[in-house]
Amino acid sequence: MSLGPAVRPTGTEELLRALTETARQLFGAAACSLALLTEDESELVYTTAAGEGADDVTGMRISSSEGIAGWVVQSGQPIAVSDLAGDPRFSLEAAEQTGYVPQAILAVPVETPQRMLGVISLLDRDARRPAAERDMALLSLFADQAALALASVDRFSALGRVLLATLADAAAGDDLVAALRRASGQLAPPDSDLAALAATFAALARLGAAERRLAVAVLRDVGEYAERRPPRPR
Amino acid sequence: MPRVDLAIDKDWAWGGASGAGITVAVVDSGVDPAHPAVRVVDRAIALKWDRDTEQVMSADGPHEDLFGHGTACAGIIRRAAPDATIWSVRVLGSRLTGKGVVFAAGLRWAIAQGARVVNLSLSTGRDDYFGLFHEIADEAAFANVVLVCASNNVPAPTYPAQFSSVISVAAHDGRDPFVLDANPAPPVDFGAPGIDIEVPWLSGATIVATGNSFAAPHVTGLVARLLSKHPHLTPYEVKTVLRAVASNAASPGSKR
Repeated sequence: MSLGPAVRPTGTEELLRALTETARQLFGAAACSLALLTEDESELVYTTAAGEGADDVTGMRISSSEGIAGWVVQSGQPIAVSDLAGDPRFSLEAAEQTGYVPQAILAVPVETPQRMLGVISLLDRDARRPAAERDMALLSLFADQAALALASVDRFSALGRVLLATLADAAAGDDLVAALRRASGQLAPPDSDLAALAATFAALARLGAAERRLAVAVLRDVGEYAERRPPRPR
Repeated sequence: MPRVDLAIDKDWAWGGASGAGITVAVVDSGVDPAHPAVRVVDRAIALKWDRDTEQVMSADGPHEDLFGHGTACAGIIRRAAPDATIWSVRVLGSRLTGKGVVFAAGLRWAIAQGARVVNLSLSTGRDDYFGLFHEIADEAAFANVVLVCASNNVPAPTYPAQFSSVISVAAHDGRDPFVLDANPAPPVDFGAPGIDIEVPWLSGATIVATGNSFAAPHVTGLVARLLSKHPHLTPYEVKTVLRAVASNAASPGSKR
């Protein structure tokens, strides 16, 4: 199962690194970092950083139950603080670890409609730039980009897990369709949906040409319907 | 913005009022009652998700503010409504897992216990919670409880700020806590101070902060003040009054 990441898109780390560096330069900030929630959501891990203290901050872990970054992932609300010295508990530890003591922070959540992923933080941005009052909304757009990239990594990892688990099962002398169906029963969505879909395709491959054409027509109609339908939750 | 003349001005709305007799619940990270800007927290409850029993557990009694944000909100509310009764409903600060359910439970607790106004400077963008929060927003409206929610900064839906029965607030760059802007383009209803404003924080300190989450409690305070003078107003009437006194919608002759 750990082979899932093997099929994920390449270049994600590079993209996220480029994104933090672009944000840092655009906002005239001393540093920009991306921290992601761990699987159990108890901690934030700084995965990507650019600027002051970047090397030290990368890999750093903090509790998701404290600090400005913790507040952002907990509340789902962006926040900016311009005099961090006034926050007696503010990540003094973090500042000591990285050797950089910021005066100001702007932090926005990174989330998809399915879940909270983490937080993007800018330290000491140049707040005297023209239109700097829009920085919070702008950084939120960067956060959306990061969320899209991360969601695609997740999807590919899930697909990879399903495929590898199924191939392993089938290689052990099992019928592919049966292995896929079993996988769809054992996995949680969306992995189970992907496995069920794969099982259906495998079964279709054995049918006649007419049945396959019918299946393609039905799928195409469903796809067109889904595209026309206005997006709405649930 | 088209002007409406309802013969309502700020003096009618809250002149001479102090929020007395109105209970405001701050659903947030806890409130520090020792902060000079807060002074009193009349009731406190902390909720969290218990992983073993998979249930929301609650603890009545004093608690600390884990981030500083709940204290900021309570201080802002206190400024507009010095005599309001403030409850702290802590739903943030423990693990994130189950957060939406804890948030919903805290909100339901405040409604059931008789809060008149609830400040929600938090939100969720998760599709899974659309139905749950829609139901609670309706429960609040039918129980005559005003929900004041911080809106999102991105053009994506966020709950419960998205719903029409709540008062959704974004930050504008004004400083006067008694000046509101009405937004002609929903779902955000009003703009209130929330950019580079001084707010109470942890350990009796203050910080200079920006966010819609600081704009919402300004409106919460004004609603408490309004209700202390006009206790029978429904959430929709409250919204109407706020729109009538908004600086960009008030009738030309009305007092600022």
